[in-house]
Amino acid sequence: MFNISQDFAPPFKLIAPYFRIGTFFYLAASVLVMFFGADIFHLDVYVLSWVHLFLLGFVMMTMLGAMAQLIPVVLEVGHFSVGVFYFIWPLLLLGMLMLVAGFYMAPALLPYGGAVVLVSIIIFVTDALLTLRKTEKLGSIAIRGILLPNVFLLAGLIVGIVMALGFTGAITIDIHSWLLGHVYLLLGGYVIITVMGLSLILLPMFGLSHGFSERPINLAMWLISFGVIAVAMGAILGISSLKILGFLLSFSAVTVYFYQLWIIYKTRARKEHDVWASSMYVAFVSMLVSMVFGAVYLLGGEHKYLLSAFWVLFYGLFGFVIIGHLYKIVPFLVWFERFSPLVGKQKVPMLADMVPTRAAGFQFWLSLTGAVICLAGFLGSSDLVFKSGAAFLIMGALVLVHNVRFMMNFKEGL
Amino acid sequence: MSATKDDIYAAIATVIDPEVGFNLVAMGLIYDASCNEEKGAKVTMTLSTKACPLHQMIVTWVKEAVTKIDGVDSCEVELVWEPPWNISMADEDVIKALGGM
Repeated sequence: MFNISQDFAPPFKLIAPYFRIGTFFYLAASVLVMFFGADIFHLDVYVLSWVHLFLLGFVMMTMLGAMAQLIPVVLEVGHFSVGVFYFIWPLLLLGMLMLVAGFYMAPALLPYGGAVVLVSIIIFVTDALLTLRKTEKLGSIAIRGILLPNVFLLAGLIVGIVMALGFTGAITIDIHSWLLGHVYLLLGGYVIITVMGLSLILLPMFGLSHGFSERPINLAMWLISFGVIAVAMGAILGISSLKILGFLLSFSAVTVYFYQLWIIYKTRARKEHDVWASSMYVAFVSMLVSMVFGAVYLLGGEHKYLLSAFWVLFYGLFGFVIIGHLYKIVPFLVWFERFSPLVGKQKVPMLADMVPTRAAGFQFWLSLTGAVICLAGFLGSSDLVFKSGAAFLIMGALVLVHNVRFMMNFKEGL
Repeated sequence: MSATKDDIYAAIATVIDPEVGFNLVAMGLIYDASCNEEKGAKVTMTLSTKACPLHQMIVTWVKEAVTKIDGVDSCEVELVWEPPWNISMADEDVIKALGGM
């Protein structure tokens, strides 16, 4: 008999701020893109400020909200202390704002902002690890999908705080070398491994895929874990051969991961193309395209290929994988809170009824068009093209804010 | 008189998975059902995924639907993972609607 926890779904009011704030900062980041030039330098303070706004305000904020729901789903036990999620978002928001301001105009704020973010993440990781201890299924997915990314997340933030101290002049380090370690630990170690781990749960769940082998993703997660460690150590210790080994391991991991995605795709029973499915196609193609641009840059390509790699990673992979899942997670949480008590008593909507299908389609195409045109702006070094793409991104982000608001306020039939 | 297997299946067919929009019987999620002379029903079922966030609610809905039948006083639901569910267990119209045919 399967053990059924009564604490699986956290209250909607607890998670709602993460999605509201996350989508707001997606909009804010898209507006600020308008002030980029096609020839931006990745270490410009404006770019560093924007990157932290996008990654902490949109990516991390939304991912932490999603993890509040997904950790119990993956581990099949309730949170150790779900109430900590009331404290995580205000701390993350405060720390993010201090970092954004710090990079742009007040470097002295950076260590403090980093420390506040670290505190919020320590609270999150502590809950995740204590929840992990409650489960009897300390099996592969639980360990790799929850434990590994959180260890890399903490390591990446600690590296970031050391860099912040170096940025303010408090200590002397080679910030440029440490930057690669910081970026790789957080983007590769946390975001990519989390995407890999959750995709093994969420893609089959929404696509109704069954009977596929999980061996490729097991291999991919080990490869990328060793790749992240090798690149981070190589960057911090200044050992080039270790960095190259790490890059090769990472590229191998992504290749194997794509084989896993293909297997899941081929065994899916649900073949409708809703906005979630379309977003996943864009996200995973973006992962591949970003890897190609990254490889071209590492093989001696121009700076614009580095910008393009990160652009596609941010707005292609992170943007679409997160927004696509908002169209699944937000309706579920709202439905669970408002409509599940009414099942059997009155007609209740299906989850798909709560998604504004046409507006979601508009958002998808506007965001995709914007991201592609901006990429063309980078590659063609054209400000005009880049800014016209940014205009599409802003429109897409505005529609996203409307859509999330629509789903959160859905009360039809009540 | 205790309820028949068909009675129980008919009752469970009123329970709809809100994610896919089909009832649990049409999805092929119900493996067996019976009712003893003490009016205790037993349903053996699975879910389309182990990670289903609605599983505790679905089990509750099944119990509620079954105990509404005349001749059933209680219902025990056994959730099993063997044999694992796959789409071929669903009705043809479900498979067709999902795009699998």
